[in-house]
Amino acid sequence: MLTSMVQALLVLALSPLFTGLIRRSKAYFQGRQGASVLQPYRDLAKLFRKDSVLSHDASWIMTITPYVCMTAVIAAALMVPFITDSSLGFVGDLIVVVYLFGTMRFFMALAGLDAGSSFGGMGSSREMTVSAIVEPTILLSIFTMALISGTTDLSGISRNLATSGLDLVRPALFLALAAFFISTLAENARVPVDNPSTHLELTMIHEAMVLEHSGKHLALMEWSSMTKLLLYAVIMANVFLPWGIATDLTAIGLATGIVAMSLKLLLFGLAIALVESSMAKLRLFRLPNLLTVSFSLSLLAVISYYIL
Amino acid sequence: MSEDGLEGIVKELRREIGEDLRHSGPWDRGMQCEVERSHLAGAVGTLIAKHGASMVSMHATDDRQSRGSFALHYLLSFPSKRELLMLSGETDGSFTSLTPQIYHANWYEREVMDMFGLVATGHPDPRPLVLHDGWYKGSHPLRKHIGCDDGLAPERRRYEFNVLKGDGVFEVPVGPVHAGVIEPGHFRFSAAGESILNLEVRLGYVHRGVEKCLEGAPPGRALRMTERISGDNGVAHSLAFCQAYEAGHDVPPRAQYARCILAELERVYNHLGDIAGLALDTAFAVPAADIYALREVMLGLNARITGHRMLWGAVTLGGTRDLLSEADVDDVQGTLMKVGNELRTSVERMRSSPSFMDRVDTTGIVEEKVARDLRVVGPIGRASGQDLDVRRDHPYEAYSKLNFRVPLFREGDVSARMNVRVQEVDESISLVMEALDRMPSGGGSSRPGPPRDGVHVGLVEAPSGELVHIIHTEGGKVVRHKVRDPSFCNWPAIQEAVLGDIVPDFPLINKSFSLSYAGNDL
Repeated sequence: MLTSMVQALLVLALSPLFTGLIRRSKAYFQGRQGASVLQPYRDLAKLFRKDSVLSHDASWIMTITPYVCMTAVIAAALMVPFITDSSLGFVGDLIVVVYLFGTMRFFMALAGLDAGSSFGGMGSSREMTVSAIVEPTILLSIFTMALISGTTDLSGISRNLATSGLDLVRPALFLALAAFFISTLAENARVPVDNPSTHLELTMIHEAMVLEHSGKHLALMEWSSMTKLLLYAVIMANVFLPWGIATDLTAIGLATGIVAMSLKLLLFGLAIALVESSMAKLRLFRLPNLLTVSFSLSLLAVISYYIL
Repeated sequence: MSEDGLEGIVKELRREIGEDLRHSGPWDRGMQCEVERSHLAGAVGTLIAKHGASMVSMHATDDRQSRGSFALHYLLSFPSKRELLMLSGETDGSFTSLTPQIYHANWYEREVMDMFGLVATGHPDPRPLVLHDGWYKGSHPLRKHIGCDDGLAPERRRYEFNVLKGDGVFEVPVGPVHAGVIEPGHFRFSAAGESILNLEVRLGYVHRGVEKCLEGAPPGRALRMTERISGDNGVAHSLAFCQAYEAGHDVPPRAQYARCILAELERVYNHLGDIAGLALDTAFAVPAADIYALREVMLGLNARITGHRMLWGAVTLGGTRDLLSEADVDDVQGTLMKVGNELRTSVERMRSSPSFMDRVDTTGIVEEKVARDLRVVGPIGRASGQDLDVRRDHPYEAYSKLNFRVPLFREGDVSARMNVRVQEVDESISLVMEALDRMPSGGGSSRPGPPRDGVHVGLVEAPSGELVHIIHTEGGKVVRHKVRDPSFCNWPAIQEAVLGDIVPDFPLINKSFSLSYAGNDL
């Protein structure tokens, strides 16, 4: 109980660092020096000092959305194993985690429509189009892992996989990982699906929905998005490749867990930065192609589990 | 020989309308005619329909003090002829609109209606173009009796956008304030889902009264002002004004070459910015950063050789400042070689990326017919088969002595516009190299006297296309200064280019046009 709370706090605290790391790596690939990896913390601190401005047309949805989003990611953080494999697994399993993110997205889309600006609605409709394909992909790819390890509890999956050595490794794992990686890019507004650093309102997906938020509300929205990105990376690390995770609370176990996690996150951060630097954003109408590929991969993962 | 051609055309016009062709004669840019007001529209229409003329520019003057009426002036160019024809005619209150026959007359006539209060009868779209809702009704800024400083009481009007209505059709207003640091302009989309059904561009937010302030300005001040009309086309604007003001006065040979070099350096840094912008807008960050770095190298070079990153202040009336010492020449040559090579590498990286090419191919097509009808100029026109380049068609300064190729593409999409710019950078670099080789030594400046009374034209190929400055002088003073930025011709084309594309592709199409708001709004 206590460990999972500490872990959740750690995830919240480290998420801006992870975003900063991706931005810094992108800057490096572009031959720029880039801002410090701590810059997202400074941005958040700045936003938290500011007041929120609300549109006259905005209803209560606009006000509660930042809190709903933040609550959803905190709840998800409690259920995802981070350094150790213990989490509040008895409260909810992978399906709950996926739909906590679903709730977050639902409220963000509503808030995008709520302010009545011309871009919010566009962002909401695009986000919903994308998530219609991404959501089943994520479920299927984590289901594959549940099938492999025999439980839908995320920490159970980690533990079973981590303790059984390489016995449980199957082709399905890698197919599911590939599908999940593409979904991570799509769900977290990264290139080639969305451009997190654009200023062009008309091309935005995620950013268009949060355009009308400001000050403290914006800080919460940004922070919850950063945490969501880190959580996806953690799920990738601990559900698909959990080796190294601490299975007990001994000093050696924890140290191994911390080192293994840092390495894996560094690797995923670099992978995301590399993908973002090496290709252009896709045309909006080409997105279904990419997302269908990831869906097919996850479907193949499930099928191959039964066949192979 | 071509002179005969233009004279022949004028003779034919005289046969048609007889005595109503009041006056015709040679002019420093070709020929000048004055036509009886009732025949003005007819004459222009005939020249365009029969002789394939196109309207380079059209403007009005308020001559009520000297001649008791307004006048309209059409600047026409003819295919395969280097001379221009300036067709003028008096008018009061109203004139016949040519827009129903000639699409590209549209914005010119609306501008005249706004600025002079003349009515274009039969114009299909007489809504205000430049004047915004806050302008005092009945006040027209370019009429003579309104000074720059007159306080005008605003009276609110309401501008009606052209929008499509129907089930599932949304109206999406964008701007004039944007999320990025860019110029202000309003875009009104009618979209069904993501598909664009109609786009109307509303500009004029950076109207500063440039033409009004240029009236009567001393030439030195006018030169600095023209440079600042559209900052990244500063050399082109100042050069066009100098050409008009110098009116046939020959600048020293060294200055002719130096001006070409400045103009090409300006083209290089503008095109680099536009190419990098395409990569940035498709989120292709690495080539974007590389090419922006090259642009920065060019700006640094500009600062080293002229003292100004945007080359301002280098062109002077009658020549250029003392430029391009031997050390500078080596610097320019070395830097350009490096920039040219590195650009090729980066462009190769962009072209070999399927995800980038998928974004730019077949996006935002301007059909050849549309480009011709709207008289789209510059790189955008040349990407849609419009083979227009002032440097070749109406050579100025030293361009007639230099060798260059004018890239031409017919696809008319974002990719073609990028290709035109990439090839033009190469051409510009070789142009500068050649000009540096051939540039004679000697003085680079002279003192032109005030121009003769009459009308004088400066025609320059700015980085964004054909740029025109027209000045009317009386007693050595400029009484009317018409500026026609290439963006004024090209803005209407973007409304056509986006049809059939989707809303999220608009920023990319807009970037590939790279139009100036300041140059258009004046």
